[in-house]
Amino acid sequence: MNIYLRQCALLCLYILSPFNAVNAAPPEFQLEIRDHLFLPDAIRIPADQKVKLVVYNRDPTPEEFESYELNREKVIMGNSKAIIFIGPLKPGEYPFFGEFNPTTALGKVIAE
Amino acid sequence: MLLSSVILVLREVLEAALLFSLLMALSVRLRISLRWVLVALVAGTLGAAICGFNIDRISELYDGVGQEVLNAALQFGIFLLLCGVGVTAVLRVRGFAVPLQLLPVLMAMCVALAITREGSEIMIYLSGFLQIGDQWAAVLTGSVIGAGIGVSVGAVFYFAMLTLQPRLAAVVGAGLISLIAAGMTLQATELLIQADWLPADYPLWDSSAILSEQSVAGQLLYALVGYEATPTALQLAVYLAAVLAILGAAALAACWRSADRVQP
Repeated sequence: MNIYLRQCALLCLYILSPFNAVNAAPPEFQLEIRDHLFLPDAIRIPADQKVKLVVYNRDPTPEEFESYELNREKVIMGNSKAIIFIGPLKPGEYPFFGEFNPTTALGKVIAE
Repeated sequence: MLLSSVILVLREVLEAALLFSLLMALSVRLRISLRWVLVALVAGTLGAAICGFNIDRISELYDGVGQEVLNAALQFGIFLLLCGVGVTAVLRVRGFAVPLQLLPVLMAMCVALAITREGSEIMIYLSGFLQIGDQWAAVLTGSVIGAGIGVSVGAVFYFAMLTLQPRLAAVVGAGLISLIAAGMTLQATELLIQADWLPADYPLWDSSAILSEQSVAGQLLYALVGYEATPTALQLAVYLAAVLAILGAAALAACWRSADRVQP
């Protein structure tokens, strides 16, 4: 009986595990904007998984996080942060830039 | 700095300008007074200022994705209004007794929402440089040039639409309104994916090697038909459903029989 119960419990866990995987909060990665530069300018994230990117803008001026490759676009006001969900991504490099300072604010996401 | 400003402002202005020109051309064809244009400009600028100056508060809503939700709502609103414009225009052409002010009101609301969306971003951009002050002249010059190019492209498009044969203009106009409207839903879907409100997925294809979204043609197609180099299945499905919905609504209006019909 005990073994039967345990098997039942394991089966339930097994069935529910995909839902747990979906409901689990995606891993978080942080990025900073300082003097119109992204720090770090390359951020490594796991491939094939949705991740939560938190971008802190330490400059007093607004910036827009933009990436054609990631299909993302978001204004981040001065001295504030923004949350951007990205992925799942195939392994590779995905450049992004600050649209308000596109000559200096350059970076890339490396999915691996 | 000058060139960055030109490009940024041009990109924002272009989208609203093409929609604006298309609806203005439709107005002229239907002999509707263009007074709504002024109303739309004023309302849109006000809307852009309100959104732009409250963006920090808006961004914090819904656990930090308020910006995405607001922009998606604006774009979905434009889609619905364009559906309304399409149906009303068809009924009017067929001689139904639709309220005279309905079409210009719908068009004004549509353009006002588009200006709110694109204009708020320009205002945020400019406000950043107002704080620093040293690059102000270059940024302002660049913005004026960018806006000028955007408006000029819109003007060329407007006159091109007016020189077309009436039948061809109706087909091209209806097609473009449908595709612009569908493009809005595609962008709204993308924003809600970014906010994690809709499920994320791998893109279905990647056509950026053939036509980059960053190229001039890519930008124009983005503004006109919602071109997206790496759409997900959900985005494509929403886009196609939107095209079917607006064309279906217009087709229904074209076939509608009613006692309300007056002699054309």
